[in-house]
Amino acid sequence: MTCDEVRELLPEHLLGTLEGPEDLEVRRHLRGCSACREERMKLEDGVATLSRAVHDREPPADLRGRVLRTLDEEWEDAGRSPAATQRSRDRSPWRAVAAAAVVVLIAASVAYGATQAHRASVATADATSYTSLLTTLGGKEFSIGQLHPTGGSSFDGRVLVYEGDASKGWSSWAIVFVKSPGYSGDATATLIGTDGQALALPPLRVSDGEAHTWLVTGDDLSGYDRLTITTPDGTVVATGAIHPA
Amino acid sequence: MLRVKVDDPGSDAALMAEFAAREERAAGTLFDRFASRIYGLGVVMLGNHQAAQDLVQDTFVKLWRTAERYDPQRGRLETWVLLTARSLAIDSLRRRVLESRSLQAIGVQPEDDPEPLPDERAAVADLSARARRAMSVLSPEQRSALELAYFGGRTTAEVAALEGIPQGTVKTRIRAALLRLRDEMAKDADHDV
Repeated sequence: MTCDEVRELLPEHLLGTLEGPEDLEVRRHLRGCSACREERMKLEDGVATLSRAVHDREPPADLRGRVLRTLDEEWEDAGRSPAATQRSRDRSPWRAVAAAAVVVLIAASVAYGATQAHRASVATADATSYTSLLTTLGGKEFSIGQLHPTGGSSFDGRVLVYEGDASKGWSSWAIVFVKSPGYSGDATATLIGTDGQALALPPLRVSDGEAHTWLVTGDDLSGYDRLTITTPDGTVVATGAIHPA
Repeated sequence: MLRVKVDDPGSDAALMAEFAAREERAAGTLFDRFASRIYGLGVVMLGNHQAAQDLVQDTFVKLWRTAERYDPQRGRLETWVLLTARSLAIDSLRRRVLESRSLQAIGVQPEDDPEPLPDERAAVADLSARARRAMSVLSPEQRSALELAYFGGRTTAEVAALEGIPQGTVKTRIRAALLRLRDEMAKDADHDV
């Protein structure tokens, strides 16, 4: 299919009225043609303008609660509350991961200076809980996140963020562990902040379906509440919210 | 250390992944971003506020059930959400037609929707006024083709048959209408600067 043919079909593709085989052809073309993707984005702007102009109306105040309650019921029906499941599942394995994280972080810290190394080595002696870790390290906060696969990928993993105290010259750390059976190659872990700011960690070198990466920085990491994993073609393959531990 | 600007598609993918993972915060964010337009779509297409509220609820349940299928490479989250809502609204209209026919077939007159309250009428009139202003940049032919395709969910072949014009002309009109709306928005943004 040529660009002209695709552009003629783009409105139908966008509005969801294009039939299977042609739609498939359009999707295939779009994957490899940035000019046509740009055209699709312009048309999407048109749909957005239309929707804002024609049908943007404040719903009743109680509708938000009603919809969120309905979703809660839906989630309950689909299985146990994920938050509860996650907490119970996290209890022991995560401690092992945290301890492993600290061990890895020590390697980074040793190179980072004697004081850092001393603090990190003290931490390994008492890695039984975040509270005691935090007390020992003297930083501000530990945050953790579970990474979930997106778009049918096989990636999952965890992220641990340690917020040091810049005023005392203590660095902050972030460490990411991923598993992706069957995948080999590079991937990028990016911390995403509430203000849209992003901070990319050094590349993940995935080998035998596993990889980890970390960074040590004097910057404040407390504003980052999400982490995404992307493959070199920009596809987001995993993501997860980061919460205080 | 590499700092990059996050693209919307990545943020939207992350948001949908969190929604798929049943993060209530993500559900709240999605509601705050899109509920007013889904609700407005319901008011315009279904004609009453109760049906519009049901449309919002049904849309969010469907979005959750299909959240893992969202792929930012295939289009914006905004478009995906709006077209999901539109598809549900069209289904609802079709059900109404079938129910109406069934009731008529057995000799029962369907109940009319309750008469809209004055403030509801005013609200819908306000929506229509805003719609006319926004769409006034389009030619009547462009507007008609776009409305049939967007609100009616009609294929270009169906629009062509309804309008009595070649299918290629319908495609051209819809595309030109969307691009014109987009350009008008860009002009407004320039004026605001």
